[in-house]
Amino acid sequence: MAEQPQSVSVNIDGAKISVPKGTLLVEAAKLVQKEIPVYCYHPKLGPAGLCRICLVEIEGMPKLQIACNTPVTDGMVVHTYNDKVNAGRRAVLEFFLLNHPLDCPICDKGGECDLQDFSMAYGQGASRLAEPKVSKPKAVDLGPTIVLDEERCIVCQRCVRFDDIITGERSLIVKDRGYRDIIATATDDPYRSNFSGNVTELCPVGALTSKTYRFKSRPWDLHRTTTTCTQCAVGCQMQVDERVGEVARTMSIPDDDAVSDGWLCDRGRYNIGFYRDERRLQTPLYRVDGQWTQVGWDDAFALWAKALREAVASGGEQSVGVLGGGRLLNEEAYLLQHLFRSLGVRNLDWRAGTQRQATPGSNAGSLQDLENAQAIVLVGESPAQLAPVMDLRIRKAVSRHRAKLIRVGAIDPLPVVACTTLESAAEVPKALPAGAERVALVWDGVDPKLAREVVAALSDFSGLKTFIASGQNNARGAEVMGMHPAFGPGFAEVDGGKDFSGMVAAARSHSLRALSIFGANPALHYPDGVAIREALRNVPFLAVADLFLTETAQAANLVLPACGGFEKTGTTVNVTAVALPVNAALEPPEGALTDLEMLGCLARALEVQLPSVTELENSVIKHLVATAPSFGLGDAKVCGTTQFGQASRTGGPKLIARTDIFSGGGTVAHDGRIESLRPLPEAAVSPACAQQLGLSTGDCCDLRSGDQTMHDLLVEVRPGLADDVVVVVAGLPDDPANALGFEPVAELINVRRARELAPVGVSP
Amino acid sequence: MARMHKSLYNVGALLKGLATTFGFMFVRRPTIEYPSVKKQHAPRFHGLHELRRYADAKERCIGCELCAVACPANAITVIGAENTPQDRRSPGERYAARYEIDELRCIFCGMCEEACPTDAIVLTPRFEMAGLRRGAFVYAKDRLLVPPTEGVGTAPDERPNGIPSDLGRVAEIKSTTDVQTGYDATNRGTILKKQRKGLAG
Amino acid sequence: MTAVATPVLMQGIGEADLRNIDVYRERGGYKQLARAFCEMTPASVLDLAKASGLRGRGGAGFPTGSKWGFLPSNDHPRYMVCNCDEAEPGTFKDRMLLEEAPHLVLEGILIGAYGIGCKHAFIYIRGEFKRGYEIMRRVVEEARAAGFIGKNLFGTGNDLEFTIHRGAGAYICGEETALLNSLEGKRGEPRLKPPFPAVEGLYKMPTVVNNVETLAYLVPILERGAQWFSAVGTDKSKGYKIVSVSGHVKKPGNYEVPMGTPVRDLIELAGGVREGRKVVAVQPGGGSSACIFEEHLDLGYDYESMQKAGSMLGSGAMVVFDDTTDFVRAAHSLVRFFAHESCGQCTPCREGGHWLEQTLERLVHGRGLPSDVDILKKASRQMTGLNLCALGDSIEPFLASVISRFPEQFEARVASPREVAASV
Repeated sequence: MAEQPQSVSVNIDGAKISVPKGTLLVEAAKLVQKEIPVYCYHPKLGPAGLCRICLVEIEGMPKLQIACNTPVTDGMVVHTYNDKVNAGRRAVLEFFLLNHPLDCPICDKGGECDLQDFSMAYGQGASRLAEPKVSKPKAVDLGPTIVLDEERCIVCQRCVRFDDIITGERSLIVKDRGYRDIIATATDDPYRSNFSGNVTELCPVGALTSKTYRFKSRPWDLHRTTTTCTQCAVGCQMQVDERVGEVARTMSIPDDDAVSDGWLCDRGRYNIGFYRDERRLQTPLYRVDGQWTQVGWDDAFALWAKALREAVASGGEQSVGVLGGGRLLNEEAYLLQHLFRSLGVRNLDWRAGTQRQATPGSNAGSLQDLENAQAIVLVGESPAQLAPVMDLRIRKAVSRHRAKLIRVGAIDPLPVVACTTLESAAEVPKALPAGAERVALVWDGVDPKLAREVVAALSDFSGLKTFIASGQNNARGAEVMGMHPAFGPGFAEVDGGKDFSGMVAAARSHSLRALSIFGANPALHYPDGVAIREALRNVPFLAVADLFLTETAQAANLVLPACGGFEKTGTTVNVTAVALPVNAALEPPEGALTDLEMLGCLARALEVQLPSVTELENSVIKHLVATAPSFGLGDAKVCGTTQFGQASRTGGPKLIARTDIFSGGGTVAHDGRIESLRPLPEAAVSPACAQQLGLSTGDCCDLRSGDQTMHDLLVEVRPGLADDVVVVVAGLPDDPANALGFEPVAELINVRRARELAPVGVSP
Repeated sequence: MARMHKSLYNVGALLKGLATTFGFMFVRRPTIEYPSVKKQHAPRFHGLHELRRYADAKERCIGCELCAVACPANAITVIGAENTPQDRRSPGERYAARYEIDELRCIFCGMCEEACPTDAIVLTPRFEMAGLRRGAFVYAKDRLLVPPTEGVGTAPDERPNGIPSDLGRVAEIKSTTDVQTGYDATNRGTILKKQRKGLAG
Repeated sequence: MTAVATPVLMQGIGEADLRNIDVYRERGGYKQLARAFCEMTPASVLDLAKASGLRGRGGAGFPTGSKWGFLPSNDHPRYMVCNCDEAEPGTFKDRMLLEEAPHLVLEGILIGAYGIGCKHAFIYIRGEFKRGYEIMRRVVEEARAAGFIGKNLFGTGNDLEFTIHRGAGAYICGEETALLNSLEGKRGEPRLKPPFPAVEGLYKMPTVVNNVETLAYLVPILERGAQWFSAVGTDKSKGYKIVSVSGHVKKPGNYEVPMGTPVRDLIELAGGVREGRKVVAVQPGGGSSACIFEEHLDLGYDYESMQKAGSMLGSGAMVVFDDTTDFVRAAHSLVRFFAHESCGQCTPCREGGHWLEQTLERLVHGRGLPSDVDILKKASRQMTGLNLCALGDSIEPFLASVISRFPEQFEARVASPREVAASV
């Protein structure tokens, strides 16, 4: 017999309400707008029963009860505010404040602190403690992102439970006991996590603070804007808090269950310093005789339009190419393809890196499908670094809903949750748990052949839901807006043009005359570094719109200062095809234009008619976002013939690049606040391979292929890797993973042992 | 008759008026020859602000922004920053990296002084701050903060409970303002000299 | 009539080396285990436990049979855990049983495990009981070699595994859910209840946690029948009880007596107080129980009478105070213990215990403030009933009872402001 959700009725302060059976009292009270104070309870973490502040009186019970662990029963009569309850809360608050330092004036939480608020509501004015307060360490450096004030800590254990229940990483613990309780990491190592920032939000007092926000502002100074995070394709809803023209901090939206589940990753939370970085471009730059010259915007558009007209005139439409869209908003991506298709240009693509596809097409699932899946198959790189908050949902499915996690073609470190690593797609059906109906497939979009194989292997499962975790925030939007060589807006089939690999090949053979790049850095992310550098050199006119003088922009003839995600307004499409609003929270720096403005001006210079913004918003974008294509994963027409994931050469370790959330040459590399979070260049090998080469974790080595070398890589021995690969971190400006060319066979040279000073040349 | 009576009446009024005029010939003049002579204000006159220091030359201000919140005219801007062991400006963890008061907006109500938990911002009786540009009235730390060579500051401290106990571990800090003498807006230098002498002795 | 100790569990202790399995078996050991396995069903063991009226000897006094009855009747694995984390101030009965009659303890645990139908039993031994732990390890090896632990016991097809776990020295691990956490390798902190261990205990499976003495009594109950046990004692508190008598008595030690033996007789049994002294207070049930006073000495030592006197029987640790006692120091010592042992989860216990300790410390040194006695009374009252487990509620009973009985002792320690100023 299926369980029917029964409902029970409860009387809270005279208000009658009917709720499902098993609802906790603290949640039921919210429904009738009765506030029950809580510290340790959190809707996402569940009850812990530690803080004892949520006392309520339940008729028929002699003692006050905690509301956080009391399920509602039928006919319960509850009082959340009367003298008895308030006396109990006052008693508990007195205990809280006994040893809590009175440094509210300098505390970052002051003004939005639950302890302050509830002390005002229920507490008493003076302390009866005659002794000095207990002294504990202040400003403890907990890790690269977090500073902990042990004195302020009220040991609600929200941070500890977050690290246990939500991330499963279990690095935070409570040390010592009684009034000497302190929060620490279990191993005394720094607290490192891709989700560390969330603990500062969970902390009900000012004990856990973000290094980037410490003492920057008081909460009442901040101007808050709700927007969508544009760092990856999950599209977490967030609050941007601005003060004096700077982003002071970003905060999650706790009840954003649909997208972020209330959490933010550290990239989205902390990579905000670049907006006011000194290196930000503030004026268009034009290269004259190898020298940069500052030009005005009017001149820049004139030069750009002239170069495009000349290219079309001399080499035809096929000699003009456009790259971009994955980092643009929908409106911008649409106008971009509209403008260039109006000129007859067919070489349009958003794929600057290895990812070939962003729209899963048929069988596309929602994030709730992912959470409720009984088995999750990760194909290629896991979303852990590409789309971290999506990974959090996978962890939730595995650790709390008992889903089985399976990896095929994995290159990244073992996930924190239990996982089965498989060699080939054929093994997948056997590895699924018996009776599994709801299967989710998460692909990194790189290797279409592998994706097709896995989908074929899972063809028996009607409940299969597919996802593509993109690193670029609006890759899916770019695709549906028509920034694709084979598809126009809404996946309408058009005369095919070259994809970006085709453009690179054309540029190398001097047949591409003008290339415009919007919000992309192929010099760092295109898999074949040798080819892309030659291509960028060979294009007679290269225009790059970006925030910084990136590796790509340095090769350009015309560089146009663009705006970041917090400075623009529009929409973006997330990994599950939800259109999310992006709202401007910051004034862009003087001299920078949004891509939308740029495209409008360029269109005027080229005398192309663009649709109005209202028209775009009201009809075009909404209509396009709702398009549901019928192709599947790894579709040949979408992915094209270019294929990156399959290294075919043999004869030595093959080089594979993995993503790190803090890799990249743009926003992360130009953010001084998070310098310490950027990954070090590493070379990961399997234990067997390490043994064969005599390597151990902590050694240092170089990688060589032909005459190209990557220098000073830290060796990491990583279980679960194939024996013939070396995994390096992609997108590091100081050690680009594509430097060795396209999928090279790398040679480990110049190995330096961790404990040796003198470098020893060892050739495998 | 009637006319005569009226004129007599007028003479009376005239004399009355003149009596007032002549009477003031023997009263002390209220006007002073500013600026060569300057008026002594009441000790708690609300004039230009001052950011005080502790005796060990650390800034009292901890950048908490409570003055900015209390300010009814929105004249105060504070931006905090963190003390480092190498560059310790104030006791505790936080100090004011920027502290600005727009004296043209200020209504000299003294609410900032009330709100300050460390007695850092105080209103001195100094009132001469004429200027030629509006921008010159935005006083920043360079003009508000007592120079480290000039003691803790000169504002009087006449609160019912005296100086509140200090935050953090700066127990030895005491005000060096001479309550008996009070101070004069115009001879701040003299008092400072006296104070320094007293400190040295 | 002077009371005489009636050794049941303590029979043979001090006479023979009961740590030796051969000696123990000669004296009839492990016969009841064999009988339980070969002749009885688990249900009949459970019925026997219920019929005997045996109540938990760890402190709460919950009827053992009913506790077992709470186990859900599903086919999940279930566990029997023997709580040998005896750390209540004044209690030393489990330690004696563990060190002197370990086979009896083991036999009791195994019978209990059989009674609830579990395949894996645990004993959680207090960290400080190093000697007892080593004895138990040897004893378990002997029992295993003799075929009392392992697969297919007595040829009945029943398996029973046994694990010894030694704690790391925390009083709170005597609380059953904290014990389970500790046993699982987690931090020893009490769990939020519900769910209760009988539903979701060790490794989230149904679990029974019983005291050493409780389980050990199963052996004589099996041997002599439920009737024999329930005939002794009072109406609701049946059977025998080992009482750890300590404090101002001449012969402190463990005394096994029938329930309901008058407190005065128990003191006599322990040699009485020194010449010329008189008993002014008795703490009948360990550190967390309130004191009873002279007028209560004729009450029987059983659960109900102690409750009527405003205290509790607890784990059976009777601490006797004569008229030389400094109750401020006594209170300080106890409160310091509880403050030190607070796990720190719940705010009232974590902060309140330390506050009371500091206040008492000042009083002990004669530097008390006039408000201190009031704070002791109010703060201890205020931290009671607000906590997740019973530790936070353990401070108030003793403190409140001695403050209300001997207020002059506390007030005498309040210093005049001049003295305070001089002492700083």
